[in-house]
Amino acid sequence: MAGKGVITPPRDRADLVERLKETQRRYGHVPEEAIAELAESLAIPVHEVYGVASFYSFLSLKPLGRNVIRVCKSLPCYLKSAEVIMKAVEKELGIVPGETTADGRFSFELINCIGLCDHAPAMLINHDAHVDLTPQKIKQILKSYE
Amino acid sequence: MEKKIKLTINGKEVSARPDMTILEVAKENGIDIPTLCYIPDLSPIGACRLCVVEVEGSRTLVGSCHTPVAEGMVIQTHSPKVIATRRVLVELMLASHPDACLVCDKANICELRRIAADLEVGLPRFRARKHYYPVEDEHPRMVRDMSKCVQCWRCVIACKGESGTPLFGTAYRGFDSKVIYGFDQPLGSQACDDCDACVEICPSGAIRKVRKAGEERANKALFIKG
Repeated sequence: MAGKGVITPPRDRADLVERLKETQRRYGHVPEEAIAELAESLAIPVHEVYGVASFYSFLSLKPLGRNVIRVCKSLPCYLKSAEVIMKAVEKELGIVPGETTADGRFSFELINCIGLCDHAPAMLINHDAHVDLTPQKIKQILKSYE
Repeated sequence: MEKKIKLTINGKEVSARPDMTILEVAKENGIDIPTLCYIPDLSPIGACRLCVVEVEGSRTLVGSCHTPVAEGMVIQTHSPKVIATRRVLVELMLASHPDACLVCDKANICELRRIAADLEVGLPRFRARKHYYPVEDEHPRMVRDMSKCVQCWRCVIACKGESGTPLFGTAYRGFDSKVIYGFDQPLGSQACDDCDACVEICPSGAIRKVRKAGEERANKALFIKG
């Protein structure tokens, strides 16, 4: 992160999530320095900012790859065999949820409901939705992301 | 004189001030409702749910530690439904608690264990996942073992910290929820040099004193009947 004062200071506590989202957009994750800076400008303890940042699936505390795969782990997708999809992604990339490939091309995460239950099992890659997944489709889908 | 309101607890009519909670009124009338996260005089947390009671007309059981009384309320504090709920709650807490009472320093002064004994909860039926976190024992006066934490959040609200900055916060979500220090770091040797509030109020072995051999325990020892 390039020095202090890079992040827009939050107006108040309610603005914290927006500033964390901004940090995520600009740096690809929320670094500790950003958390410390936000905490300082709001005069709240760092664990409070850390708590918010760690709560949301779309905020990441560690650097992510160029493309982020988020497979839904909620109940409707689970009932439509989301576990098979997770295994297929694992096999294709050689990483487990929470990890990033060595070449930095993909990060693999599990996520709570993304509102695509009518086409379960579903996943997001970056912000593209991929629905009605089967293990056979995974290879093809991943190919289109560099 | 302040206005009093009338309500019924366990079939007995009692009067109370309108700013009191159900728990406070029950306590005043000698009714013992088990609590785990509640600390008198501090703002209620409502995390443990052990203090739930049945209120006539309410769809669900309500937490008595954070529900204010109202005129004409009809409350059951020990109905079969309430007792069954409390038992399952404690059973679930025990199910994801490490089976380490035998070697735990808090074993015979443990509030969780006392409540389990009071509610006659034995071995949990459920096989739940457990948390394993490294023990944080660098601090000269306290040991923190988050594997034993029951997430009552007492320490979170009780700690005022040195210089007014509380030491603990909550982070993550769902099963991964955890009480954290700083950036989810272990409690270092310099973490805090203030009161022992968190040590005193932790209901399980998650935060405990560093005890030297032969030193007396602060709380009264627990005798489990039966």
